[in-house]
Amino acid sequence: MLRHLFTLIWNKKKAHSLLIVEIWASFMVLFGLATLIVVNLRNYRQPLGFSYDNVWAISLKSNQDTTDVANKLQRIVQRLKAYREVESVSRMSSNFPFSANQMSNGVEYNKKKVHADMYVTDGDFAKTVGIPVSVGKWYRNADSVGKYKPIVINQKAREGLFGDENPLGKVISDKFRVVGVIENFKAKGEFMVNKPALFELVKASEPWNDTMLIKVRPGTDAVFEAKIVKDIASMMTGWSVEVDYLTDSRKNQHNLVLVPVIIALIVCSFLLINVALGLFGVLNLSIAKRRGEIGLRRALGATGSGITTQFIGEIWVLATFAMLIGLLFAIQFPLLNVFDVESGIYITAILIAVLVIYGIVTLCALFPSRQASLIQPATALHEE
Amino acid sequence: MITLQNIEKVYRTSTIETLALNNINLDIKKGEFVSIMGPSGCGKSTLLNVMGLLDEPSKGTVQLDGQPVTQYRDKELARLRNQKIGFIFQSFHLINDLTVLDNVEIPLLYRSQNGKPRQEYAKEALTKVGLSNRVKHFPKQLSGGQKQRVAIARAIVGNPDIILADEPTGNLDSAMGNEIMNILQQLNDDGATIVMVTHDEQMAKRTHRLIRLFDGTQVL
Repeated sequence: MLRHLFTLIWNKKKAHSLLIVEIWASFMVLFGLATLIVVNLRNYRQPLGFSYDNVWAISLKSNQDTTDVANKLQRIVQRLKAYREVESVSRMSSNFPFSANQMSNGVEYNKKKVHADMYVTDGDFAKTVGIPVSVGKWYRNADSVGKYKPIVINQKAREGLFGDENPLGKVISDKFRVVGVIENFKAKGEFMVNKPALFELVKASEPWNDTMLIKVRPGTDAVFEAKIVKDIASMMTGWSVEVDYLTDSRKNQHNLVLVPVIIALIVCSFLLINVALGLFGVLNLSIAKRRGEIGLRRALGATGSGITTQFIGEIWVLATFAMLIGLLFAIQFPLLNVFDVESGIYITAILIAVLVIYGIVTLCALFPSRQASLIQPATALHEE
Repeated sequence: MITLQNIEKVYRTSTIETLALNNINLDIKKGEFVSIMGPSGCGKSTLLNVMGLLDEPSKGTVQLDGQPVTQYRDKELARLRNQKIGFIFQSFHLINDLTVLDNVEIPLLYRSQNGKPRQEYAKEALTKVGLSNRVKHFPKQLSGGQKQRVAIARAIVGNPDIILADEPTGNLDSAMGNEIMNILQQLNDDGATIVMVTHDEQMAKRTHRLIRLFDGTQVL
């Protein structure tokens, strides 16, 4: 029967060409959307690597004040530590977790290169954002005296640079010595790809790296925020102070990922609804035109359910033709490693798109096929 | 072979009730070639549909090989139609998107016959009707007579006991009609039971028995 259906659809391919194009286009759009969703879901399932609850980022700008800025920044650190509400303070570069800023650079070890996100932080960073160190230790502020700057890397950077080697004590790019390894650090939130990251000790004498991360006690509210802003402003005349709660910044980062996905999902849904309605109409029309054939098949031995199966089978064959063309395009993505996305993600997206298309065409075919099975053969043959 | 007892068929709409068959009693014996005649609208095709298990009678019983089939379910009726009955229609009812060979194979599809033997049986049937050289043609490429011969091949491919022909020569000129009638007679000589609806007295004279209907009632 399957061969019969293939023959029937193949012989009518010209009449079905628009339908095939429609299903093909839907498959490609679904494949794209499914890839986007699978990529983000897979990222989401990987741990963030740090804690952001009750952590605030205080961005400082000295503006026209250029006198002894580094020293003033250290005074602010000391002032923040003095508050009873503050559990921990860390000074770092402006690319604090969930911020829009990013710094990255290539690092090298034994001709192996990785492109890593760079963060400049002090010795209290791991404590402030609750990063567990899996190998070695987090650097201390006192470690800045050696020839090489102490750095901590994440597992991704370790795999890229050292493979199975022990990274502790190794010098990379002729200026950094690895003192510790952490697991993940996904600074842009759960949807971020788990990329190589490198943490470098901030120099107290540098006037830049002017962001303070503070971990406050649970229940600390905006009154305290106003208080520290006022205190810093009175300490450092002309400086600007901006406080971000990491929980809010995280939401903003999530929105940057989720909003385009949701828009794509809505557009795709409308497209699929249109395709489904079109298919439904075409199938209804086709069945109306083929009443004689239905009567004939019943006369030759088809049961009512056999007629339903035949029409659903025909639309599956049609969808298979369309998706075979779609697969020729879709399979190029994993083969050519497009966008540097893992092959498994593309294969999963292809499977999802195939299942959704089969689901939609089955739903669209169910009602018309059921109607076809109810046609009385004697009446249908007489009409012809 | 086919026994009809007190068959009545009524078509009902919301406003009108039409009696298509009224108290029909018939017994078609194995190997008979029977023709049914009567004016248009007298119930000939309805009677053939009832015999072919395509339509249910409103009253009465239909027996096939002594078995009452009136209460059979859809699946059992479909199996009987497929295995015991071959249909030939005035307007051929060929599927234009399938080749001659594919059209003839259709009854065997519903027996889940495998591809290779299915093709062989279909080719044999086409050889019997003299169309072995047209297997790859599509119905649109054939004349009316050739189309009807394809329809006959389709009717006999499953080796049914009964062939029901609804005005098989109605759309053909007399030469073509005679050709088709010769094939039907040959099939009858080979043992097939044939019931044929016709308007043509000459064709009816070539059958063993004539049944006449008038306004749904058997008059002969």
